[in-house]
Amino acid sequence: MRVSDKARVRQRRIVHGALILVSFSLMFLGKADLAAVRNLRMGGGEFLAPLVDVVSAPIRAIETMIEGVRTVASLRAENVRLQGENDLLKRWRRRAEILESENRQLRSVTGAATVKNRTPITARAVTAPGGGFAHTVLISIGRERGIVRGNPVVTADGLVGIVIDVGLKHARVLMISDINARIPVILASSSWPGLTVGQNGQFLELKFLPGEANPKIGELVLTSGHGGVLPNGLPVGRVEQVKDGKILVRPAVDFRHLSYISVLVGGLEGIDTSNLGLDKFYTPLPVLGSERLLEGLNSLGKRK
Amino acid sequence: MKDQRSYFEKADFHSNLPLQFLAAAVGLMLVVMELGLAQWPVFYGAAPNLSLIFIYYMMIYHNKLLPIFSIFIIGIIGDFLLSDLLGGRATALMLLAIIMQVRLFKLQQGDFSLLWIDFGVSCGLVSAFQLILFSILNIAIPSINPILFQYGVNLILFPIGFVMIFAVHQLMQKLKLVG
Repeated sequence: MRVSDKARVRQRRIVHGALILVSFSLMFLGKADLAAVRNLRMGGGEFLAPLVDVVSAPIRAIETMIEGVRTVASLRAENVRLQGENDLLKRWRRRAEILESENRQLRSVTGAATVKNRTPITARAVTAPGGGFAHTVLISIGRERGIVRGNPVVTADGLVGIVIDVGLKHARVLMISDINARIPVILASSSWPGLTVGQNGQFLELKFLPGEANPKIGELVLTSGHGGVLPNGLPVGRVEQVKDGKILVRPAVDFRHLSYISVLVGGLEGIDTSNLGLDKFYTPLPVLGSERLLEGLNSLGKRK
Repeated sequence: MKDQRSYFEKADFHSNLPLQFLAAAVGLMLVVMELGLAQWPVFYGAAPNLSLIFIYYMMIYHNKLLPIFSIFIIGIIGDFLLSDLLGGRATALMLLAIIMQVRLFKLQQGDFSLLWIDFGVSCGLVSAFQLILFSILNIAIPSINPILFQYGVNLILFPIGFVMIFAVHQLMQKLKLVG
């Protein structure tokens, strides 16, 4: 090997080493959740979002076509199912009207505070999670429409996630199925508080439930509103499996068909959303007597 | 008369730079396509890693057209768009490229079945590397099923991707774009 070749090989090795070092450093910087890295990430996403949109268009068209064919094929069965569902909904409507009336009466008696108004703004999901390591989506609205970090994102079925990065025209949403998402919830029928933790998969894990809580299969899980970032009462999912103390929740929203979402703007006044490391916000307080409570509530169950 | 030959001699008509740029652009396009495919419910959370297939092919047959820096850029853009661990994919792809350079001769001489098996091993190593780093940094292990599904899809798509890239390569040869 000639001297110039040797020098070139050495130079190449140095460049390779430097690039790997840069990549490794980026991993730790990214994990440190620095504002500069967040801005860089969001800037990159925002810059490439229109390109992604263009490339996704034929795929969306194919999906719509397949969906159309499937719908036509199952039209008859669908009709029977819808008629049944319609009957069921009518019964539920009557039940809801009764409960609504009862609820109104109870509110007037107890003077319970209503949830602060949040304005829903509709947006389109530009991307979908493409890997097993992060469950986030880019949405087509940003700062110019008043979106800020911490805004909840929902569909008609329930909670999708929370806005974590905001650009001018786009924002990134951390879905509740992401491994870093922790959502303070309550079991709808027993009102026991807990946290759902994403697993980057199909289900969420329900953790930090008190020992005496006995979640039932199919039981609805709602946001509790602890901490104030999320409003209470948003459907998160239903208990799917209880096995060996591990409780799995199926999300209320089918994330595979996420196209349009609503961002609930407002209602975050006075809440510090600069650090949404949710595990820091909602860690359980020490067991007090027989109760285990979430941060944000005192032992009497009142907001701190 | 002034000798104009020296001006033309300066131009490097055999420079790899335009083709390197083109290869990097194709790699980036494939990353964007991955993101598009992720919107298909079938590939939710486990879109096929098209850029990995491309990088694997290029490293074997045209490694001069895809320098490590291009792989770094492809990886970083992928991390940005897929919101993966920033630098995770870039590091995994660069390490794969460096390891492949060592075994280049064997791979170039091998038949397709050897390449397929080797791609399976490489793809598994890239996923395992990312999984280990992710788990260490997040102190939590993500659900393995989507990762396994993605691995399976990559393996199935490899022959298709290979044939398509090979066809493009043949076309470019006919157009005398590459040697």
